[in-house]
Amino acid sequence: MTTTTLYSVSYDLSRALLGAVGSVLPPGARDALTSSNAVTALAVLVFCVILLAASMLNTIVLIWWERKLLGRFMDRRGAMHVGYAGLLQNFADGLKLFRKTTVSPREADGLGFYFGPTAYMVSSLVIFGILPISSGWNAGALPLSLLLALTIFSFAPLFIFVSAWSSNNKYSLMGGLRSAAQMIAYEVPLLLAVVAVVIVSGSFDLTTIVYDQRNYWFWGPLFLALVVFVAAMLAEMERIPFDLPEAEAELVEGWNTEYGGMLFAFFMLADYLRALVGSILVVLLFLGGWTLPSWVPAGLTSFPLAGIVWFMVKTYAVFGLFVWIRASLPRVRTDQLLRVGWNRMIPLALLSVFLAAALVTVRCVPVLGCVPSVGA
Amino acid sequence: MSDMWINMGPQHPMTHGLWNLRVRIDGELILDVDPEVGYLHRGIEKISEDRHYNEVITLMDRCCYVAGLAWEHLYILSAEQALHITPPERSDYLRTMCDEFQRLASHIMWYAAFVQDLGLMSPFLYGMRDRDLVLDLLQDYTGARMTYEYMRVGGVRNDVPPGFTDRARKVLDWLGDRLHEYDQLCLGSAIFRKRCDGLGVLKANDCVAHGVTGPMLRAAGVKRDLRKDRPYAAYDRVEFDVALADGADVTARYLVRMEEMRQSIRILRQVLDWLDHHPGPAVAERLPRWLGAPYAPIGNEGYLLKRSYPKGVGFSSVEEPHGEAQAYVVNEGGEHPYRVKFRSPVFANVSAARQYLIGYHVADIPPIMGSVDICVGEVDR
Repeated sequence: MTTTTLYSVSYDLSRALLGAVGSVLPPGARDALTSSNAVTALAVLVFCVILLAASMLNTIVLIWWERKLLGRFMDRRGAMHVGYAGLLQNFADGLKLFRKTTVSPREADGLGFYFGPTAYMVSSLVIFGILPISSGWNAGALPLSLLLALTIFSFAPLFIFVSAWSSNNKYSLMGGLRSAAQMIAYEVPLLLAVVAVVIVSGSFDLTTIVYDQRNYWFWGPLFLALVVFVAAMLAEMERIPFDLPEAEAELVEGWNTEYGGMLFAFFMLADYLRALVGSILVVLLFLGGWTLPSWVPAGLTSFPLAGIVWFMVKTYAVFGLFVWIRASLPRVRTDQLLRVGWNRMIPLALLSVFLAAALVTVRCVPVLGCVPSVGA
Repeated sequence: MSDMWINMGPQHPMTHGLWNLRVRIDGELILDVDPEVGYLHRGIEKISEDRHYNEVITLMDRCCYVAGLAWEHLYILSAEQALHITPPERSDYLRTMCDEFQRLASHIMWYAAFVQDLGLMSPFLYGMRDRDLVLDLLQDYTGARMTYEYMRVGGVRNDVPPGFTDRARKVLDWLGDRLHEYDQLCLGSAIFRKRCDGLGVLKANDCVAHGVTGPMLRAAGVKRDLRKDRPYAAYDRVEFDVALADGADVTARYLVRMEEMRQSIRILRQVLDWLDHHPGPAVAERLPRWLGAPYAPIGNEGYLLKRSYPKGVGFSSVEEPHGEAQAYVVNEGGEHPYRVKFRSPVFANVSAARQYLIGYHVADIPPIMGSVDICVGEVDR
């Protein structure tokens, strides 16, 4: 295999590491340490650490990106003081939250109170093991990676509801109920929009979906699905205009009212992890993923990280769109949100599925471009 | 979930101050509300009885922290009436200018807080940015941004500094453009209309029954504005229209306040022109020495001893940014008012909460209460 993957890098790294350690040990221990099982085990660990660090770092930079963009939309400069242009501000904030005592209400249910945020955070992190950021970045070639990613993505309402309920606070409970209702309502159009992509691509494998977009990104032929997907994703991420579960005007802070310190940081991080997952999914499903456009000079395409850089640029641009929406729209009301979800989004999503089916039959549409044949 | 009471306040993002709205809800539906005020009561009326007439002005600034000048004006009018003092014409215009700048600042503050309740963060900061320009102007001639202590019994403390009117005109030009931008961000947004249309309806009959005044009353289509109906200061000498809307809902109140800001700019332009062309004293010529000193400029000959000063009562009503404020001052002789009583418009507006909140959703509380424009300082006094 000639291509460098994240796993092969971790494997080489752990082999070199174990070899170096083993060279000073007696032969018996050296053999045990440099056996392929041990190297594989360490490689998996290294792989996970790299993935964790990369996703955490990206999340924190994403928060910075949102703060700066919001600042500009609001005619101010955003965080400026810690680090260059405030780049380290979020690290400082994180450290502050880390140092704080975690206070739980006396009447709160201890297990649920601590389990909720932790599970929410972990489940959001797990998705990063599945998403291919570039060829060879993900853990393994899963034939159903899209399905698995969305399944884990939809765990969230359960954890939110558990933490809201166990907080023993009326505002938290209302926020949790809103959150559950909203996420379940928008899960359907989200998945239907994804079905449109799957019909056109013929695969549940994100890598295949990306390669199917080598010539034509799906956003043109599947524009309706993109719109539905982005709107549903906004609701899933609980961002303005759909941030009712934590509408601070009436619910104080919604389902995380009682959380402070590191547990609050978990919620915050998980929210942005999910926002990152949402942006990444938009890029993977509709915007061509990491495949470089033809106008990129040949010298750059051979650069090993070119695909990742191109991918992240698109991801941050998509997130920028979410920030733009946040900066300019008011919040909707729960009943309006649910009505729009069931009465508008689902029919639109169904329509996009039919359009996708029609596209697969027609193959090529003038102006919009061609779709790859099924199974090709 | 069966029905339950929740306390929105005294510390709650919706309250914009220190008060408590108790709400009985069933799911998201509001079954009953019970506004509780009084957390910020400082006994301003009682303290006033122990203060020099001019020292009460300091308390007026604390009465409403976003419309201090309007409350100074209210008190000054009745105090002057009680003390039989007539201010010079120029101070009438200066006070009118104060009122209108204050109305602009207060309404922009209202706009900023109101849109933030709806989740609109950007216009909040635009509002705060633009309000700062008005505060800069106020600071320019009063020396303060919030607690001005500018008006005096018999006039105002000082005239505007040179070049002020030109600076003010520039700000008014800028604000005129910004109001258009505000409308684009709110009225132009379908979500905003969906959230606000038909919300918190308080019809004209109910307004009158509950003593609701100000923009809420005018939003119900009642043409009542004390600046027109019972003119004070220079309002009978400037041209402006009474802002009206007929929806009686949150959108109507928004429209009324936006139009009032436009009318304020119109009034201010006329006042600034007048100030440019009519120099003169800003304080009454003949003030009793005990009242003038040490605040008023030197040169006022005391013409009466305070012991023999004639008694009197004063009543005034002012269209402050939130509604009709009224003051009653009793002068029984002496340096201190014998009794001072204020009528806060927001107190009445909040008291009617049951009328315009029940039947709506929990998520509607912030925009509806935002459209009432609460200033707890004057509710509790």
